[in-house]
Amino acid sequence: MRQLSKLFMVLSVLSFAVPAFAQGGGSSAMWADIAAGFSMAFASGICALAQGRATAAAAEGLARNPAARPGIQLALILGLALIESLALYTLVIIFAKVK
Amino acid sequence: MLNLTADQMRAERFYAGALNRIRRFMIAIAPIAAAAVWWRLGTRSVAGFALGCTVAYISFYWLKRAIGGFVDRAAGETPSKSGSGIVLRFLLRYLLMAIGAYVILTVSPASLSGLLAGLFLPVAAIACEAIYEVFVALSRGV
Repeated sequence: MRQLSKLFMVLSVLSFAVPAFAQGGGSSAMWADIAAGFSMAFASGICALAQGRATAAAAEGLARNPAARPGIQLALILGLALIESLALYTLVIIFAKVK
Repeated sequence: MLNLTADQMRAERFYAGALNRIRRFMIAIAPIAAAAVWWRLGTRSVAGFALGCTVAYISFYWLKRAIGGFVDRAAGETPSKSGSGIVLRFLLRYLLMAIGAYVILTVSPASLSGLLAGLFLPVAAIACEAIYEVFVALSRGV
């Protein structure tokens, strides 16, 4: 059942994609803009998910073992800073490649 | 009661100072990188880079404080800061970055690359800290 629902999801996405392909003759700049928007959206969404997971794991760890606070705090700060930088990498690539 | 050996205590002390070392690395890296940017890309880019470094430094400082407040609450300790203040600071970081980017885009779009490079200052500092920790672990066995 789960696989079937995944198949339907993929098919629905593909059916949305078909009219876009049918337009044809579009400039590459338009596709670059669309790709930039999608890549930034994906990067932001996945970074937000990762930050949420990291924070949840840190909160759980602290609740289980409050004595481990310094180590968890350091790991959380570094983790969040590095996860944020991933979205910045995407932004830099967009600015470098999409004029 | 934890019974730590002298080596373990030394290691605890060493790793507890990581955040302060990262802050110092940021302060040390910024002028060196700014000089390199000025030499390679010119004055406009170095202005953007300086703005990016400032925003990144303030953002990292606020991130540290926000997480300190969050950890206080998660560990069940009496919070020293208000919850709304923590959230506000966390969100203000993004506002600060957006304002920096807007200022650069309106004043001098040519220095945007400098601003983006400056925002990576904490990553460079964390990389330096990682290298330093590996060096200390290998040389002193901490």
